[in-house]
Amino acid sequence: MAIDPLKTVGHDIPRIDAYERVTGKATYNRDIKLPGMLYARVLRSNVPHANIISIDTSRAEALPGVRAVITHETHQLIYGSGSISGGRQYNDAVKDITRRLRHMFPNPVRFVGQPVAAVAAVNRHVAEEAIQLIEVSYEELPFVLDPEEALQPGAPAIWPDGNMAHDDQNRQEPIGSQSGDIEAGFQQADHIFEDRYTTAFVQDAQMEPRSALAHWEGEKLILHTPTQGVSNCRHDNARDLGIDDHQIQVICKYMGGGFGDKNGSYYFDLIAAMLSKETNVPVMVELSRKDDWLGTHGRWHTVQDYKVGVADDGTVTAIQMNALSGMGPYLRRSGNIGGIDAYGCPNVDRKIYPVHTNRMVSGNFRAPQYPQGYFGIQSFMDNIAYEVGLDPVEFALKNMRKPTEEEPFTNYSLDQCIEQGAEDFGWRERWRSEPGSDPGIIKRGAGMGFAIFNSTVSPSSAIVRVDSSGQYTLFVGVTDIGPGAKTTMSLIAAEALDVGVSDVDIVWGDTDRCPYSIGESGARTTTSTGYAVMQAAIDLKEQIAAKGLPADDEVLIASATPNPSGDGRRRACFGAHFVEVEIDTELGHVGIKKYVAVHESGRILNPLPARDQIRGAVQQGIGQALHEDLLYDVRNGHPLNAGFYGARHITHVDAPEIEVSFIETDDGFGPFGGKTVAEMGIICPPSAVANAIFNATGIRMKDLPITREKMLEALA
Amino acid sequence: MKTFTNQNPGTVDEAIGFVRTAREDGHSVSFAGGGTDLLQLVKERVVNRSGQDVPDVLVNLKSLEGVDQVSFNSLGGVAIGGLTTLSNLANNSRISDDYKVLAEAAGQVGTPQIRNVGTLAGNVCQRPWCWYYRNGLPCYKAGGNECFSIVGENQLHAIFGGGPSFIVHPSDVAPALVALDASFNVAGPSGNRVISSSDFFVLPRDDVQHENVLSDEEFLISVDLPAPSNGLKSAYHKVMDRDAWTHALVSAAIVMEMDEEICRSAKIVLGGVAPVPWRVPAAEELLIGNVVTEELARSVGAAAVAGARPLAKNAYKIPLVRGVVARTVLALAATV
Amino acid sequence: MNGSLHQIEVEDRWTLIELLRDHLELTGSKIGCNRGECGSCTVLVDGEPVYSCSTLAVWADGQDVLTVEGLEKDGQLSVLQQAFMEHNAPQCGFCTSGQLMSATALLEENPEPTVDEVRHALAGNLCRCSNYNAIVEAVMDASRTGDA
Repeated sequence: MAIDPLKTVGHDIPRIDAYERVTGKATYNRDIKLPGMLYARVLRSNVPHANIISIDTSRAEALPGVRAVITHETHQLIYGSGSISGGRQYNDAVKDITRRLRHMFPNPVRFVGQPVAAVAAVNRHVAEEAIQLIEVSYEELPFVLDPEEALQPGAPAIWPDGNMAHDDQNRQEPIGSQSGDIEAGFQQADHIFEDRYTTAFVQDAQMEPRSALAHWEGEKLILHTPTQGVSNCRHDNARDLGIDDHQIQVICKYMGGGFGDKNGSYYFDLIAAMLSKETNVPVMVELSRKDDWLGTHGRWHTVQDYKVGVADDGTVTAIQMNALSGMGPYLRRSGNIGGIDAYGCPNVDRKIYPVHTNRMVSGNFRAPQYPQGYFGIQSFMDNIAYEVGLDPVEFALKNMRKPTEEEPFTNYSLDQCIEQGAEDFGWRERWRSEPGSDPGIIKRGAGMGFAIFNSTVSPSSAIVRVDSSGQYTLFVGVTDIGPGAKTTMSLIAAEALDVGVSDVDIVWGDTDRCPYSIGESGARTTTSTGYAVMQAAIDLKEQIAAKGLPADDEVLIASATPNPSGDGRRRACFGAHFVEVEIDTELGHVGIKKYVAVHESGRILNPLPARDQIRGAVQQGIGQALHEDLLYDVRNGHPLNAGFYGARHITHVDAPEIEVSFIETDDGFGPFGGKTVAEMGIICPPSAVANAIFNATGIRMKDLPITREKMLEALA
Repeated sequence: MKTFTNQNPGTVDEAIGFVRTAREDGHSVSFAGGGTDLLQLVKERVVNRSGQDVPDVLVNLKSLEGVDQVSFNSLGGVAIGGLTTLSNLANNSRISDDYKVLAEAAGQVGTPQIRNVGTLAGNVCQRPWCWYYRNGLPCYKAGGNECFSIVGENQLHAIFGGGPSFIVHPSDVAPALVALDASFNVAGPSGNRVISSSDFFVLPRDDVQHENVLSDEEFLISVDLPAPSNGLKSAYHKVMDRDAWTHALVSAAIVMEMDEEICRSAKIVLGGVAPVPWRVPAAEELLIGNVVTEELARSVGAAAVAGARPLAKNAYKIPLVRGVVARTVLALAATV
Repeated sequence: MNGSLHQIEVEDRWTLIELLRDHLELTGSKIGCNRGECGSCTVLVDGEPVYSCSTLAVWADGQDVLTVEGLEKDGQLSVLQQAFMEHNAPQCGFCTSGQLMSATALLEENPEPTVDEVRHALAGNLCRCSNYNAIVEAVMDASRTGDA
């Protein structure tokens, strides 16, 4: 589908705040200083499961410079966003009914890293010293770290009615979907395959560790906090504090990455608010890197059992999955596992059991449910392709989901992504029909993966104003976690208004000054808030056409809160990744030699940052494929390798070159046909890399991450 | 961070005096070299010197004059000040020429930022990076009574020389120094003493709390290397589980004296596999007097793992050692 | 400090990054891990990149410290800063100051590095947005531009 070129949208435009970002002038949360502010530290549990018998804070309170100490005995707030509610995008009513409440300071403690107390002091050193002086007496309880063990009879009970997670109606039902007739599907099959794939917990680990700076002006709370969505953060905190939304102002200007870790509110917002209330001055809660690692969340680890039926010609006739997701002791997000949706097989039975453990909490990380599931299903399907004698590309084209009369798409390009990717990559030259056939110690091989990711549009708002000088001001409640939302919003407005980007000022990241925005999650800012910007700008342009520019001190204002639909059709992005690896079979090293990613995300509104969203996501996915994990000691329940060093996050030296190309389309929906970009890139790398390792070595790696030690064990 | 006092000694005697005074006053005290690692231990409140608390006093050795120099002597040997930064060591062209293994080892420590500050002595004397110790668990190395790795997560732990603690020595330069027959000059209350690099490091079975023979009042002030003999070739091969900024899963410091194609002498010292730099004499002996062929190199690799006793999760280190040693020996013999 | 002399009394326990951020209002350098693992706090001390979280302020007495705030000269961005803007090198921007400082030191010493040399010189600067390709491209571009 050819697209019509536009004037501003679709051209490489450096960020409008690039200058601030390269000069150190961009103000991140911890850069803010307010007169008289205090610094706070949080004391965390060093046992995985225990009743707190007593807390003695007297020595901490006596330390010179300490201004306030709070614990569960003094403050019993429920942190609602930590349960299955959280933000307007979820259900407010859940907090009222859920029986598994998460408190700001829970008792019992349920994982190492759980907040137990907090101290505000004149500086961070005093606060740190003070938390060391708090004496906590624990009655230790049995604990469980493994989701399978947690579901066994007699397992330590983290919650009174068992460790299977509750859904939003307090039911212990698996997440799942059934379609077609699974038994009939297996009967149609000529071959039935069964296997297990497992994935590890990985921390979002954005570079900026969390903090929250709170102060009260009378009954109004002003909260500076890095959040992926000021509007949702305000709503979450208002609900937990029992005040109205308008009694909170949430401000977030610059933010050092999020990836889902900063969705909505967090309990330390509440801690900052409470400490500020106690002391009547601004309080900044700072999390150390280790606090942040253990005290926020990461991608849920999974155990996935598959059974797949295939006909002799390679057609998949049935897919069954039974899986567990390790959620830690609180359900912060769903625990769902995606991936099967990428296949058109009509007979599907998916059951996913989110399970509580005494590990740290799981939650959203870029494409929350997908890289794990795609690793499982696409590794398994790759294996099946070899078993039935098909090239994995042919197998993919045969079995991938295609539009049907029952499920039409606004446009569809998965086949094109796969075909172009195979061509650009040189699949025929790089892929070996006989796995492990590269002679010698150093072996090369190729693998691929593909994905479908929904590009939803949700209600969001924007306001545009013009004054008599012709200067426009755009008000949007977005924050900029890294992809460049501010710039995208500005250039959508400029395009719709037919003015230059520099003619549009932007006011962002402040709930008192900006209307509701959906939040920077699900890669939805462009399609949701961007769409609202476009609608408001069109409205304003029409007003100007009708009335002319305003005179003197007058202004013209337009706002929009559209609630667009896909016209009953599914709107999705598509992508295919191809990777060549080089395995040192003696030293166990996996090197990425070539990586090609082809994506269709509608019209690419700003190719420069869009390309880097894919490249960065692929690198994160490679880290997840090869390195990242959080290991626990099974005897004492302690996490052992929290941090960038411990989790072996990839460095410049590890990061391969990623080749990205976009197939551009305009399906007539979204802002100028734009779809989502930022989450797609992380879905395919784990399966594509694992498939390439198989092609190079003939060894199927079924447990993420594929570390050097696991590679060597498999090669031995 | 906890409160502590920084002391800037002007002389070695003053440095040792600061330590003694602090101890007499009941304070815990540490020498600080570059401090890149020590400060992390202080921040995380991990006990640095066994039997002591997190330091109340840091004695900043960077304030001493003349302890960060590389000085070649008339006999062709070299004295390297303990406070020489790893960057200066890695970038010293004569070290690279004469003692390549040392320059390569120093150049692979951590990151540029760490090498620019971290010192030779600090790298040799750094505390273990075992995750149990670093997470503050009360293990032997923290003055406790247990090695948590034995039945725990022991992927990174020792396959040689373990027991009762199974840490691995974290230094990259230490195996190189042992392979080069270095002498360590140690400053202490009763003057300097010289300790052979082969006697400097101690196994847990001899002293479970310490990794070397230094007392609390001593520090490594310099290292002497003998003049390189003719035909000396050396290399450091480090294998990590990402391609930068980790400690060695396995490393090999290898020094070979070649007479045309014949290997006259060899030292093979492994890192990442034992609580001390681990020399493998049986593997060395196979080389002596022989032409290095691929087949011989493979035998040397195999001999290097003789006697290894892996724990439940670190048997992968055995093929890794075999491969690293064989390849490095072969590559060294092939270099002109 | 960035070419000007500061006299300030410090607590012994202050790290260099605390001195910069809390007492000299130089907040461009960031604390990402506070334990020498990420590089967000990288500054140049006597021309060499160091983790300012892993050295004490008192140890920097008498030394020449350059931070990201010192790169812009007379309202003119450095060639590297310009290249970082053009190549979209900052995503979230939190690691950017550190990346710039390591790259500045590299190009000072080696104006025409290879891609591999750039990667190794920046190995101590993590980017969780993982915009590694764009950062390296920016440095390579600046190296050629700077030469021309």
